[in-house]
Amino acid sequence: MAYEGKDKVIEEVTGKSYEFGFTSEIESDKAPAGLSEKIIRLISAKKDEPEWMLQWRLNAFAVWQTMDEPNWPHLQYEKPDYQAISYYAAPKQKKQLNSLEEVDPELRRTMDKLGISIEEQKRLSGVAVDFVLDSVSVATSFKDKLAELGIIFCSMSEAVKEHPELVRKHLGTVVPTRDNFFSALNAAVFTDGSFCYIPKGVRCPMELSTYFRINESGTGQFERTLLVADEGSYVSYLEGCTAPQRDENQLHAAVVELVALDEAEIKYSTVQNWYPGDENGKGGIYNFVTKRGICHHRSKISWTQVETGSAVTWKYPSCILKGDNSVGEFYSVAVTNNAQQADTGTKMIHLGKNTHSTIISKGISAGNSHNSYRGLVQIMPSAANARNFSQCDSLLMTDTSGAHTFPYVEVKNPTAQVEHEATTSKIGEDQIFYCLQRGIDAEQAISLIVNGYAKEVLNQLPMEFAVEAQKLLSISLEGSVG
Amino acid sequence: MGGAKPKLMDRSIFEAKHAASEASGAALIEALDKVLGAKAGVAFAEVPVPHRRVERWKYTPTAAWWRDVLAPDIKTVAAAKCDENPVPGLDAYRLVFVNGAFDAAASDLPVHTGVTCMPVSQRHGQKLQVEDAFSPESSDWFASINGRYSQEGMYLRIAQGVEVDRPILIHHHTCGAGTFNVLRHDIVLALNASVKLIHWSTAAAEADGSVNVLTRADIGAGARLHLDKVQDEEGIVRHIAFEDIRQGRASHAEVHTITVRGSWVRNDLAFRINGQGAHAELNGAFLPGEGEFVDNHTTVDHRVPHCTSSENYKGILYGKSTGVFNGKVFVRPDAQQTNAYQQNANILASENSRMNAKPELEIYADDVKCSHGCTVGQFDSDALFYARSRGVGLEAAKAMLVHAFIGDVLKGLSIPEVRLEVEHRLAEKHGWDVWSDHPNDDS
Repeated sequence: MAYEGKDKVIEEVTGKSYEFGFTSEIESDKAPAGLSEKIIRLISAKKDEPEWMLQWRLNAFAVWQTMDEPNWPHLQYEKPDYQAISYYAAPKQKKQLNSLEEVDPELRRTMDKLGISIEEQKRLSGVAVDFVLDSVSVATSFKDKLAELGIIFCSMSEAVKEHPELVRKHLGTVVPTRDNFFSALNAAVFTDGSFCYIPKGVRCPMELSTYFRINESGTGQFERTLLVADEGSYVSYLEGCTAPQRDENQLHAAVVELVALDEAEIKYSTVQNWYPGDENGKGGIYNFVTKRGICHHRSKISWTQVETGSAVTWKYPSCILKGDNSVGEFYSVAVTNNAQQADTGTKMIHLGKNTHSTIISKGISAGNSHNSYRGLVQIMPSAANARNFSQCDSLLMTDTSGAHTFPYVEVKNPTAQVEHEATTSKIGEDQIFYCLQRGIDAEQAISLIVNGYAKEVLNQLPMEFAVEAQKLLSISLEGSVG
Repeated sequence: MGGAKPKLMDRSIFEAKHAASEASGAALIEALDKVLGAKAGVAFAEVPVPHRRVERWKYTPTAAWWRDVLAPDIKTVAAAKCDENPVPGLDAYRLVFVNGAFDAAASDLPVHTGVTCMPVSQRHGQKLQVEDAFSPESSDWFASINGRYSQEGMYLRIAQGVEVDRPILIHHHTCGAGTFNVLRHDIVLALNASVKLIHWSTAAAEADGSVNVLTRADIGAGARLHLDKVQDEEGIVRHIAFEDIRQGRASHAEVHTITVRGSWVRNDLAFRINGQGAHAELNGAFLPGEGEFVDNHTTVDHRVPHCTSSENYKGILYGKSTGVFNGKVFVRPDAQQTNAYQQNANILASENSRMNAKPELEIYADDVKCSHGCTVGQFDSDALFYARSRGVGLEAAKAMLVHAFIGDVLKGLSIPEVRLEVEHRLAEKHGWDVWSDHPNDDS
């Protein structure tokens, strides 16, 4: 690039240390490393689970043992040793908590550092937070308020005990155990996660939010989220992550299942900022996530994600458009820097008539990173008049980074209309020149252009989240590259 | 729910099928060795036998090939003649191959200064290009079959600065049952040489067999290759074609692939751009009808800076047919200032037609402009309404839209006789009389 300050910019990208890389010291209850039936029984027993849940886990474990880790993604990483991971770590809790004041002060400070003081969220933004620290939910707010409307928002372990009928009915229906290697692993060993149920016709009055955070060194996190929106309901759900700086790779294999019953709408937004490793690719989180939603008649699921972290990302939030007239959306900004690798995208499976889907994916590659979009649009014979629009753009910041697009389009119905377009380019020198001659320096110019580029996706985020998303974008790119 | 059917997820079924194809692949080689005899010193590449779980063969059914194995009456050459010119009125040199054998009587070899053209079997002492790590023979199972068993083909050398005065037509005709035809064409264009080639494949209605063609072209600096490929095969012919094209500095290569007819067709084009300032152009149109399968795989490998490539594939699918498009644009780390364009548009014209598309970009350089677009849709109802409201019947209106839709691809066929003949054959196959009423002679 023929403007000054490029070297400085690049230097700052690579020189930037991870801002949220602190570790909070909380006494934790940790299972020995390794995975066996015994460990699964231990997890189940620790969590005081009913027998059906244990059987479900054991079945998943049996399935997982027959599966191989996928090799098809455009990723190169050292495969984790699944027998070297501890599958259970819970902060020691002496008693049930009734109010926030009873929460461990160390934990409270962690939350403060993340900028999600629960009281503040409660008072100012009206966001209910189900805070997960290393697998077990320890603080939940706004519960009473939500309970008035009949909304259930709790940890998965609580849901298994309190609402077994709902959990049994929906768990594993969207992401079956056999779906893939990581979903099977998750089904066997998941320790906690969030459960949410919105009753018929209820419009959830606030954004529901969960902050995940990997804390114990050497423990993988296996979240399981199940969100059920009953007929005619609406919910907007936020998920965000930050993780402490660690040298060894940490595994994160979550499963998120969304069920949108007739005429329901779910908006699921994610800001992901796991520790990406240092500039040489040492350390960092492996993020292997299976996210999928099923849409019944006239329902809508919208995924929005801002991916800035993780050493390796393998993530395809998908929609099964089963019901007629249902709508699926996917908006994504993925930023990779240094040695990060991302293989992310979506699947839109059209089964119902008049189903619509939109895919907007924006990739930004800097440093030596590789950023791939991988998407599937499948129109089944039953999906008359289905409509899809996909757009995936890639922006390359350096000549050592890579941007790749692997879209799959399978159409089995002649009335469907499917469009896909993708472009790859770098920031135009004429655009930078235009800014420079108007007194905007190169760094600001790049920031401006990148922001404009990602705007289409950022606009989809709820207000409360957009601020954080922009903050994270600036950490991974703006403050440095632009 | 579609995703939860356990029988689809059962790995044992996949594995059993995979094992079956491995076994069938080995059996096919054994059978071919017996009938055709392996070439001395040609080892079989260590590549997986094509199967649905092999990414490059995800959408391509190979079961029909394995059925050949069960009918081991593979014949090398059926005695047959083919002397009709597939493109009437075209003034061209001709090389005719019938069931993989050269038909000297029907051929008219080029006689031109600086042009060496003959069947591969008659090239005494002249060496063919050797395969390397990038050759399809070393990366694809069926291309490896070609490397091991190729029977005949065209050997073409064009000297520096020579422009061949007339196009060269390679006509391959398949007839009879149980034929297994393996051809390899070897083309070298020296500095600033130029040639127009037409590769025309036909088959008799009773034909039942397979055709495996590999064309290797080494295009020197400033040289120009224009290849029109027309596939119009009746009968049951499994046709697999590989084009392995290497381009030198400031060279120009165009391949236009028109699939008029073919029960099972797979085209695998690979362009390797090794010299700066080169341009590659790949266009295609496929209009499969009832029971037909057409697969177009393309790879454009930009290895050096300042090159351009343009790709345009159009498909219209009729009856119970399946189309596949897989295009890959690969830009290597040093290939700055690359400008690559890829477009694939498809129309599903019938209830049971299927289209699978996978346009890929893999880019390792930053100062590039690469884009691709892919659409799958149907005839524009507004356009049909417009035509019908002016007294044009529905079928005629559709034929007009088809003409417009694939018009930009057909325009790429630079020899007017070839284009007219292609249009004529398409119209004949689909029963469009509008086309013949309005010959596209505006250019």
